Amino acid sequence: MLHDTTHITDRPVILSLAGLSKTFGTLKAVDDISLSIPEGEFLTIVGPSGSGKSTLVRILAGLEAPTSGDLFLRDTQITQSPANKRPTAMVFQSLALFDHRTVGQNIEFAMKMKGVPAADRRNRALELLQLVRLPEDYYSRPVTQCSGGERQRVALARAFASDPEILFFDEPLSAIDYRLRKTLEVELKELHQRTGRTFVYITHSLEEAMVMSDRIAIMQSGRIVQTGTPAEIYSAPVNRFVASFMGEVNILTLEKDTGGKQVFSEIGQPVQAARGAYAMIRPEALELGPGEITTQLTVTQRLMLGSRTQVHLVSELGATLISELPGTAPELDIGTTHPFSFSTEDIAWMDE
Amino acid sequence: MTRGPHTSALQALWIVLILGFLYIPIVSVVLASMANTRYMRFPHKVWSLDAYRDAIASFTTWQIHSISFWIALFVVILAVVLGTLGAVAFARYDWRGRGVFQRLLVLPIFFPQPVLGLALLLSLNAVGLAPSWKTAIFAHLVWIVPIVTLVISIRFFGYDPAQEEAARDLGANRWQVIREVTLPALWPGIFSGALFAFLLSWSNLPLSIYTSGPDTPLPVWLFSRTATNYSPLVPSVAVIGTLISALLVLSLALILLAAKRVRARRP
Repeated sequence: MLHDTTHITDRPVILSLAGLSKTFGTLKAVDDISLSIPEGEFLTIVGPSGSGKSTLVRILAGLEAPTSGDLFLRDTQITQSPANKRPTAMVFQSLALFDHRTVGQNIEFAMKMKGVPAADRRNRALELLQLVRLPEDYYSRPVTQCSGGERQRVALARAFASDPEILFFDEPLSAIDYRLRKTLEVELKELHQRTGRTFVYITHSLEEAMVMSDRIAIMQSGRIVQTGTPAEIYSAPVNRFVASFMGEVNILTLEKDTGGKQVFSEIGQPVQAARGAYAMIRPEALELGPGEITTQLTVTQRLMLGSRTQVHLVSELGATLISELPGTAPELDIGTTHPFSFSTEDIAWMDE
Repeated sequence: MTRGPHTSALQALWIVLILGFLYIPIVSVVLASMANTRYMRFPHKVWSLDAYRDAIASFTTWQIHSISFWIALFVVILAVVLGTLGAVAFARYDWRGRGVFQRLLVLPIFFPQPVLGLALLLSLNAVGLAPSWKTAIFAHLVWIVPIVTLVISIRFFGYDPAQEEAARDLGANRWQVIREVTLPALWPGIFSGALFAFLLSWSNLPLSIYTSGPDTPLPVWLFSRTATNYSPLVPSVAVIGTLISALLVLSLALILLAAKRVRARRP
């Protein structure tokens, strides 16, 4: 059964974070984070390395105690309860499979700890193998004989076996090659839709977050700087950090020229009705030919991206810009200068 | 590289030479045990098993073996316990002073054993302990625990500590984490450590000679009887001792194999 994710914010909150902080010496790894996670949501916490996202998820899983703040599972305070007493399960970055055990023994671990009889454990383990799309005969295979992708699936099945209310993922796909990662991202999203469980996923890749999540929280230096649906984050990043995190975008700075007019300092062009200090323009919004705001740019690099072509450009004032054009754009030889333009509708404004 | 018939013939010869080099001394001891000469020499004219009859009938034979066995048994148990705890400190956790600990721990291994034995005897005298097989256990431990610690530590390199967190996350309490994750991961190291401890203690001469007092373990007896008062009893006791330790190691290996089979059959 597929559940409907469109009205997810109407659902009851399963996990709420109230002012969570964690300090290591003088370093504030997690800095006063408050967040409510509705039941059944696929929430992704994105941030560069060192942003505190791993520490945050370890606090949520009970592997680390916060320095201050509270954590509630529904209405129960669970801040101090240890990992083994929480109805949650984590898929670790290293996967942390039990190397000296078989696939079946790995999956059954949580049930064994609960004292489930061997026959029932086995039946459930076989069901879970099916859920993560591994053949049944993997049951008695040592985990050391599994490939990277198979190990991911075993780790997933093992986490599901404890029948957790919330699943945490600490960058489990970061060490996997591109194609397999894409496949597993889609499978994970489907698994979320099929099981209806709450997923909290940690990654440094906004691209990965965009593919899978209902909602994204972006972390920077221990704080959450923006939360929103993938579409909201994509169209309206709250600051330059979030914007640049999305990959290659053009960010222009506004300044007042001598006549008091607002101009983009990188290209020297004036703009009417600015709604922020910075403007983000996506590469595909910077088009070849004159338009609403036009500027002369010189081609410095030309890269084929399959159906599109990416060109690196430099303005007369020396700023670098990027444009992506459909087709092969044969006229854009390196060293040639052309008019490029964008419209104010395509600008995402930011204050900082 | 191609391998002609000559290469493989040379290879075979090389292997035979190495094995011969290793086994000729042992074979010569077996042969010497079947002589009835007053000196250890070869070839000898009279062949007999008298020495074995004497050795088996003699109370001393059983006494020296049992002393060596009890020393080795206690050394194995204590060295494995201390070595496992030491390995946890050595390799599992990072703490202030770990580097110093790692260096200090391996130092006794490099200390010449006869000097270490003498030093231990002096220390025992200083604290007023009479040397006996019990003090020999302590002396062996000083030298063997560092070795066992190193052997077990090797298991921790290449061990993912997140496994312990995963077990905890999946509902295991502290004791269950140790029983289900840490110990099974360490088990091959503990097994080799125990084996090392047994063999090193069983055959140790320089530490025992100073610290076992009136109790005579097998190597000490063999050494003193080879130096003075030699008879074919000496090589025959050596052969019996070798057979006993080989049997112990073999039966341990068989028990482990059987245990592995049983575990594999269990779902």
